[in-house]
Amino acid sequence: MGAHYTAVGWNRQKKIYDWVIFAFCVTYLAVFITVTAFANPDYTFETALIRSTSTLAFLLLHVILSIGPLARINHKFLPLLYNRRHLGVTMFFVALVHGGFSILQFHALGNTNPFLSLFLSNTQYNSLPGFPFQALGFFALLILLLMAATSHDFWLHNLSPKMWKTLHMLVYLAYLLIIMHVMLGVIQYETSPVLVVLLALGAITIISLHLIAGMKEVKNDQVVYPNRKEGFVQVCHINDIEDSRAKMFCIGAERIAVFKTAGKLFAVSNVCKHQNGPLGEGKVVDGCITCPWHGYQYLPHNGQSPPPFKEQVSTYDVMVNEGYVWVNPIAYPEGTERPGALINLQVP
Amino acid sequence: MTDKKQDEFYIGWVGKTPPTFAALTKRFVLVLLPVIILLGVLLAVSQKKFGTGNFEFGTLTEVRGIYFDKPVPNLRVVTGFGLEGNNSFVTIPLIGYGKFGADGAISDIEKAKHAVLNGKWITLKGTLLYNDGKALMQVDIGDNPITNIADVTPHPMTVDSEQLGSITVKGEIIDPKCYFGVMKPGEGKPHEDCAIRCILGGMPPMLHVVDGSGRINYYFIVGHDGGKINNSIKNYIAGPVAITGKAIQYGDWVVLYTDGPQSITAISKSALWQPKGSIMACAAGGTPLKTPTCSVR
Repeated sequence: MGAHYTAVGWNRQKKIYDWVIFAFCVTYLAVFITVTAFANPDYTFETALIRSTSTLAFLLLHVILSIGPLARINHKFLPLLYNRRHLGVTMFFVALVHGGFSILQFHALGNTNPFLSLFLSNTQYNSLPGFPFQALGFFALLILLLMAATSHDFWLHNLSPKMWKTLHMLVYLAYLLIIMHVMLGVIQYETSPVLVVLLALGAITIISLHLIAGMKEVKNDQVVYPNRKEGFVQVCHINDIEDSRAKMFCIGAERIAVFKTAGKLFAVSNVCKHQNGPLGEGKVVDGCITCPWHGYQYLPHNGQSPPPFKEQVSTYDVMVNEGYVWVNPIAYPEGTERPGALINLQVP
Repeated sequence: MTDKKQDEFYIGWVGKTPPTFAALTKRFVLVLLPVIILLGVLLAVSQKKFGTGNFEFGTLTEVRGIYFDKPVPNLRVVTGFGLEGNNSFVTIPLIGYGKFGADGAISDIEKAKHAVLNGKWITLKGTLLYNDGKALMQVDIGDNPITNIADVTPHPMTVDSEQLGSITVKGEIIDPKCYFGVMKPGEGKPHEDCAIRCILGGMPPMLHVVDGSGRINYYFIVGHDGGKINNSIKNYIAGPVAITGKAIQYGDWVVLYTDGPQSITAISKSALWQPKGSIMACAAGGTPLKTPTCSVR
């Protein structure tokens, strides 16, 4: 979190993270190319490079897509999430080497512009087995380019979080395009089942992790709060909320986080303005609600980020009655100050 | 102690990772490392064997022979003299730089030298590519490829062509430049766009045929009058096809004269499989391809 934009806000963690990514990439490329050279003495380096970078980029994409649900299932994975954009940008550059070399290899030095050739060489768009698979890879690369280019808070703020998030959700479309790129391309050539099996295992892993994380969310969202009074809804006992922590409640369309701090309860929107992170899984640090994803902070009593930051979230009325926490799910405008609810320590 | 662990909270910008978060991250990385190595090995060894073709990139070779522009631009190089006075020779098809046929380069040479090369003894400098006992040569105008055009042809040569009859063969249409060494793979779906670009650029299309025993044969594909049909067969390139045509053996290559796309049928991959020896029986009407025969006048 910074008050002004820098290309990368380096710290020790990020440096370690990037060195690990670099070591993994170099190790994988070295292993793939070396084993290819030994197993296939007639290999060409260009082909080994195209294949090693394609498989590496796809592996990285699997790791990237796994990090989100893993962090939802177990928050100890959050360090991987915080620096995920470095992994994404790395993956894009690896994929760019694959795409760039492929366009050079298969389309350059011909009678047509290489980029036109990509779409005009094989034009069997109406045939599934004959479909021009390279075009699919091109569009996937285009999505990854957009994501890598906007993978900075400058773009997040200027595009608006909603637009930015929508753009970055296109990663799932890119994943689908890449699967089809592989299925309609190299798998039709190779005779070994290894690639098909790995592709299936990868997809099953990604889908399973998302389902598990999603079910956890759904379970929380489906809790019914039957006790209602004068617009307030009884959500839990005050002892259910740990000090400096929160509990999240889904009431109607509202996702509300109720924090306990400094002897009071405060209710704010659960959705962080940065990347929709779950504020309710955060903690009050130095008097500020701190988002577990990227450390964005808000003051509990008004939902405003401390100056000079300008993010604001909605606030809600909360009260304590006979040891139980009651929340009014009607949101106040973002940044509206609310008094919170004093906790009576003599609770039954 | 347990409470303290439970209360640990990770903030990325703080710069220090709480111990339990760091421990899980380390475990994740340590599990991922052998997985990455294993996948690298597995994916590398599961690749289909690379072709044995060779492209002598960066090495120019001078070859002397007679240039013929039909059925595809080629150079016939005498390799010896037989007891009956017949020459033995190899035919080296010529191809152009990049994804082009040799016609452009030959035409440029003819304009520059004010000569017609067809039927002339010439010394040509180019880049060789070879596989399966066959050789081709890339002619690039940037290499100053022609070093000599003989005024007198010392051994005028006519080549007997042998009619092999009307046949139907199944295989894949490839561009010979990539297949014989420039690219690996130079066939199949991953190479399809490149093969299309090469053939549309004037490279002579070739049918690559494999029989049940793994024996490979190659057929240059031309129109019924020997003309190019490159553009009209675009949709059949790099996929399994059956082609019917009149096979004629020219030297050490076979040329299939077809009626263009009407002679070509897309088939399934499974239909591509041909019983052992079926190609030769089919190609030569039960007679194996003979050693190339030439008569020297």
